[in-house]
Amino acid sequence: MIVFSWYRGSNEKWLDAYKDPVASLYTLTQCITLSDVQADGDWKLIIADLGTGTFDMKLKVYKGTNLMSENTIIDLPTGVETFYMDTHEPRTPAIAVASGPYIYVYKNLRPYFKFTLPTLEVNPVEADLWNQVKEEKINIFVLREMLEGMRAEGTVLTVRSLRFLQLQDITDCEAFANLYRFTPLRRQTVITSLATLKKSHADEDAISCLVLGTESKSVYVLDPEAFTVLTTMELPSVPVFLSVTGLFDVEYRIVVACRNGCIYTLKRGTTVTTKNCIELNSQPVGLQRINKTIYVGTMDEALHCYTSKGKKLWTVKLPASMTTMEIIDYKPKGFKAVIVALSNCNVHIYKEKYLVNIIKTDDVVTGLKFGRFGREDGTLIMTLRAMHRTFQRDLYLLRLNTAREYVKSLENRMNPISSDPQEPLKLNATVQGIGPMFKLTVNLQNTSLSNPSTNLLITFQYDDKLYAFKNSFIEVPMLVPGLNYAFETYVECQSDKGISDNVKVYILRQGKSIPIITGIISMPCTDVEPIANVKKKNQDDF
Amino acid sequence: MGLFSKLASLLGIKKKEANVLFVGLDNSGKTTIINKLKPEDAQQHDVVPTVGFTVEKFKNKSLSFTAFDMSGQGRYRNLWEHYFKECHGIVFVIDSTDKLRFAVAKEELSMLLDHNEIKRKRIPILFFANKMDLRDSVSSVKLSSMLKLEDIENKPWHICSSNGLTGEGLSEGTEWLSREMESAIKQQN
Repeated sequence: MIVFSWYRGSNEKWLDAYKDPVASLYTLTQCITLSDVQADGDWKLIIADLGTGTFDMKLKVYKGTNLMSENTIIDLPTGVETFYMDTHEPRTPAIAVASGPYIYVYKNLRPYFKFTLPTLEVNPVEADLWNQVKEEKINIFVLREMLEGMRAEGTVLTVRSLRFLQLQDITDCEAFANLYRFTPLRRQTVITSLATLKKSHADEDAISCLVLGTESKSVYVLDPEAFTVLTTMELPSVPVFLSVTGLFDVEYRIVVACRNGCIYTLKRGTTVTTKNCIELNSQPVGLQRINKTIYVGTMDEALHCYTSKGKKLWTVKLPASMTTMEIIDYKPKGFKAVIVALSNCNVHIYKEKYLVNIIKTDDVVTGLKFGRFGREDGTLIMTLRAMHRTFQRDLYLLRLNTAREYVKSLENRMNPISSDPQEPLKLNATVQGIGPMFKLTVNLQNTSLSNPSTNLLITFQYDDKLYAFKNSFIEVPMLVPGLNYAFETYVECQSDKGISDNVKVYILRQGKSIPIITGIISMPCTDVEPIANVKKKNQDDF
Repeated sequence: MGLFSKLASLLGIKKKEANVLFVGLDNSGKTTIINKLKPEDAQQHDVVPTVGFTVEKFKNKSLSFTAFDMSGQGRYRNLWEHYFKECHGIVFVIDSTDKLRFAVAKEELSMLLDHNEIKRKRIPILFFANKMDLRDSVSSVKLSSMLKLEDIENKPWHICSSNGLTGEGLSEGTEWLSREMESAIKQQN
């Protein structure tokens, strides 16, 4: 669900503009941006939709409330930004989508360029192991054992090795190793956060560099024209939120919130950072900056404010845990505040440490964006957790699992002799006749020594367009062990096209839906034409 | 009023003058509509976003209009109220495709109706649900219920769908407006 509201600054602070309960979007604050991507003064909403989390990831562009364009993204998106990469007229910005180890750049809403993060060094032992597999010096069991040992020691492995270790089945492992052993081993990292940094001018439409944080604990600054890495900076932990100010060519500050619960400040010229750190009591959930103050929301239901030097100014206790945060910068009224979405379906607005406004929503907000949209300043866009969607997905999974189990059980019983020791039965079916009427005989034998079988049923599965059964359901009397019982029914073939099909016989126990045994009967073709047709033909001849 | 003009208006040769205020959000089509109402030889080909406001004059059968074409951009909207005092009629133009900003248009309208100069006066208000030719436009009936026009008290109002580019629906609206304004002016005299 997606909700739009307009900020009015006056008594009634928000105007409810539009609500789309069936937008079925799953997105986060980092994956929403507003930009004049067509340079027509009508600002568009750009959303990277996470889809189901594994499928259906899309880059969506909304013009007003209408979906204007849609591009499929291959992997899970982790950030969306727009930036000016050249000085051409008209001034159309490019869209950058971070996904896996790649940055996908779109210009004029079309794919334009794919940037791949530089590969990292592979552990020499790991590389050697895969090399030996390639030369067939070691088998997969040795490989698996060695890799497991390395992982236990805390070595960072490549994605290929990790995937290999995940595989449960030995045949899968073998197939996997055979498939990949000839391709060179590479270690790639994943982009965790994306931001932009103006290159040499501070104008609104000046060329910007992309700033990326990666899972390999580094921050990269990319050149917007050549897509080369301008600067690499190392951090003690994985960066998760970035806040960037300044100009790349002059002086800049990148405030980075890391997964270890620390905030670091990177400047022009830094390559390795260990100091300049704010230590939080808990993991960060959001990082924003207004002028020189840093606002951080943490997992322990608190909002903190720090100076850029790292001095704590204040802490506000939140009534519930925070899901995301965003800045309100409403220029017509010069109003700046922090907007915080909470897990109790409220959205709080803090002007400095004072709560100035509360918005109530129907569900938990997962994504927030404030800015210019369409032709008007001050839109707040809220994406809500899609309950319906979660429900739908679970329902699908349930159906899939049920179907799988059912197929499995049918396949297991696809046997004329019961494998279940509780139901020792033997099935044998014969077809007699030359058609179109056949006689189908099902022979059942209780193969146990002393236990009689009771409450059994015989039923058939067949194409009802092709066959008509006189008796498609037969109740079986008690079966005495060792004796052979024959049950007969007549089957009429309905088609005169000379085709035949398989008919399945199920032996069921009353009250249970899984058959005890299943028999497949391959029906013979009809040799004689149906009598009605013969009669008709004869009449035609006269 | 001079002797001649008095005589002329008595004889019905000279038309009565009316000030009409054109308001509405930016990009709703106010300037385009005024452009279409002007005589054909005075029309412009290119319409650009209005900065501040412009004044245009045109006539129809009974009245001579002085149209104040106000800019609809956010930063100029506070200029509107300065012209409320002298106006005889208001034309509120709405982009009927811009669903997202109906809430903003409604807000601006209620601020206009609540203004001291407008509140107690019986000023006719004409609404143009403009851009009716576009595929995702909202009908005038739906628009009037979305903007809660039925709640307007003590003022005659009328809404019609229009297309500022072809001129469709404009004459219906302006005829209604001039009728209303004429009767209001007569009452004043």
